[in-house]
Amino acid sequence: MKVSLVAVPVLFLTLSACAFNRGTLGDDIKPEAVSAIKKASTTKAEVLSLLGAPDRILQVNGRDVFQYYRYDAKAGSLLLIVVNFSRFSVKSDDLFVLLNREGIVEDVISSKRTNGLEFRFWPFGD
Amino acid sequence: MRTWSGRLGITFLVMALWADLSACNIVRVTLNTPLTPDDVAFIEPGSTTLPDVIAKLGAPDALTDSDTGIVATYRFLDVKYSRVNFGWLFKYWSPVDPDLIFSRTGLGVDALEVFCDSRLVVRHQSFLRHLSGPRFNPYPF
Repeated sequence: MKVSLVAVPVLFLTLSACAFNRGTLGDDIKPEAVSAIKKASTTKAEVLSLLGAPDRILQVNGRDVFQYYRYDAKAGSLLLIVVNFSRFSVKSDDLFVLLNREGIVEDVISSKRTNGLEFRFWPFGD
Repeated sequence: MRTWSGRLGITFLVMALWADLSACNIVRVTLNTPLTPDDVAFIEPGSTTLPDVIAKLGAPDALTDSDTGIVATYRFLDVKYSRVNFGWLFKYWSPVDPDLIFSRTGLGVDALEVFCDSRLVVRHQSFLRHLSGPRFNPYPF
């Protein structure tokens, strides 16, 4: 009884605070817009009307490549009196639209990594 | 029955231990999920294509041009930062707030680069290995 009277306040005092932070860069890449892009038929103008202006335009092997990206960062902090643990996790969604010389979509490469992004506090391990 | 000096000694010891551990910060920053050689073991130069790689690993972070075709780059970052402020030990007795800080940052930058020809067939793949190391170590010397 005496121990718990001491231990409980000590626990509350040492586990003093925690923090959740989040940051994003760029707009969400809408899956319906990506699925509306058809290889060998969608034009450059249609891509622009569906997704807006790309974040980057690359020249790869004689082809124009439109790159769209979005970054999502989640940070969790466990703020104790004696030690603070923090972990920041950043992941990105990327979309590449490869256009041929005629301005027709040749390939679409996309991935959505941010779906699996979680708030984490423990900095050790993977 | 403990004496007053004994209690003071224990109190000091506990506070010293507490203070010694105080103002410690352990921070980790990761960008994307690191890939291991096992994750890319399926890539066979000369037969695997870039769409095969993308189907398994997702879209790369960058596509760049090269003389022989395309280079797809998957980037990862792993930063380990640890900091100890030993000055915190003296803040209750000192008229000023002294700092004696040891800190160290391990910046791990890694990337998988997949070199493809103009037909998008993989020709080479390799890791850039600048790893941050496995441990948090604030000792800078």
